Amino acid sequence: MTSFLLRADDVLRQRPWTTESAHAASALRHLVANIVLFGMAYGAVMGCFGGILGGRVQQVVYSALKVPLLLLATFLVGFCSFFVLNTLFGLRRDFAQAVRALLATQAGLAIILASLAPFTALWYASSADYAAAVRFNLLMFAVASLGAQGLLRGYYRPLIRRNRRHRWMLWTWIVIYAFVGIQMAWGLRPFVGAPGARVQFFRAGAWENAYVEAFAVVARLLAGMLTS
Amino acid sequence: MWKWVKALDRVLRGEATRLPELSEETIQIPAVGLSAVVVGLGMVYGACMGCFALVNRQELADRFGQLLASTVKVPALFILTLLVTFPSLYVFNALVGTRLTLRAMLRLLVASLAVNLAVLASLGPIVAFFSISATKAGYGFMVLLNVLVFALSGALFLTFLLQTLHRLSIARRGPAPSLSPVTGPDVPEGPHPPSDLVPPPPSVPSPYEPRAERPVEVELVEEPGALDQIEGYVLGRHVKKVFGCWVVVFGLVGAQMGWVLRPFVGSPGTPFQWFRARESNFFEAVLETMRNLF
Repeated sequence: MTSFLLRADDVLRQRPWTTESAHAASALRHLVANIVLFGMAYGAVMGCFGGILGGRVQQVVYSALKVPLLLLATFLVGFCSFFVLNTLFGLRRDFAQAVRALLATQAGLAIILASLAPFTALWYASSADYAAAVRFNLLMFAVASLGAQGLLRGYYRPLIRRNRRHRWMLWTWIVIYAFVGIQMAWGLRPFVGAPGARVQFFRAGAWENAYVEAFAVVARLLAGMLTS
Repeated sequence: MWKWVKALDRVLRGEATRLPELSEETIQIPAVGLSAVVVGLGMVYGACMGCFALVNRQELADRFGQLLASTVKVPALFILTLLVTFPSLYVFNALVGTRLTLRAMLRLLVASLAVNLAVLASLGPIVAFFSISATKAGYGFMVLLNVLVFALSGALFLTFLLQTLHRLSIARRGPAPSLSPVTGPDVPEGPHPPSDLVPPPPSVPSPYEPRAERPVEVELVEEPGALDQIEGYVLGRHVKKVFGCWVVVFGLVGAQMGWVLRPFVGSPGTPFQWFRARESNFFEAVLETMRNLF
């Protein structure tokens, strides 16, 4: 347990073993384990909003499964295009290291999220407003994403030093990841679980398009402002 | 089969289009095998595109009909575009005065298509993911997402085409720039100037000349990638002309061919059909979809 936590600490401190090819297999196993376990930790706390007694414990389990699912599925959906684009721009030689950097960042994101879980718990304890709880979780994800960005830059620094084109690839990845990730998060709702609603893994009709919905909300707001 | 995938990998890595590989004035690739890979990749992307109909149609026959149609139509789109454009491209190419043979040009186009389809297929999982998570209301979004993906892969296709044309013209002329210093004013102006090969004028002083006090940047780019411009050469006049012509021809024919072969995504409100009635054109339709998106 202690060694597991120490190695998680290494991820945050960008120790060389996380991205060196010499330890590739064990590092990958460890990074994925980090993503799963720390993601589950945050997810479990996230799902506690409706309480943990009775049938509600199911929501806790579902949310715990969904956070690592969100991170890993988004990674997998974007992976193919990242591979082909890297190859095409002549960066194939560094691809393995780039992937390890991305995975280490994801692990870092999960660790940061888990470290923010107590805040979420405190928020849940102090307010029963569902919409506010959802917004607070969004804020926590935003904070964790910002932290992970810094980590990603750190992990990518040696690659960028080797070839400046890696910077473009980094931005390409961030765009792809955000584009897919937002829709993935939208599709995997509910994470928080409204207290009165039935507990379910996927919300019925949840698989709509996040961007179309967001645009509709903005359009409604604008229309409201114009008519009032 | 594996050999062909390897060939695709060589093209993507830029190994097949390095200058020493182009010494025979053509790309050394198995054209037939690579074409088969192109068709396969097109089918993969087509299937990803057809996922939208799979989720958003009621009748089983409609669902799988559209999936099958999209899977067949995407490779057909590229092959038909190639067939329609190839004769005129070749003739124009010969008129401008480049010396690409028929075989060299066919190989060049197959390699470029391989790049296009590889990028397209690699973006397939993202399209498939958005397709399965889309509802009927998301039809407009899916159409635009597909247009965006095609535009992106098309841009990379054209970049590859341009750089490979450029490299072929360099390979025809001779070795690296340092070994053939063709200096500007002294080159005799004959009836056929070596316009494909224009090294930068050596008289321009480089702002980076005094390197001593500057820290040396460690940038290890040993081999150029598939999309890199070879250092020391600027694009020749012939290359620019041929490329400009190809861009226009490919862009127009490709977009309109896509329009003729529609529907690819399949509007949820209409019953499945292999082809739609002849009407309008691609560019009008994209503008219309943008207007009606939400």
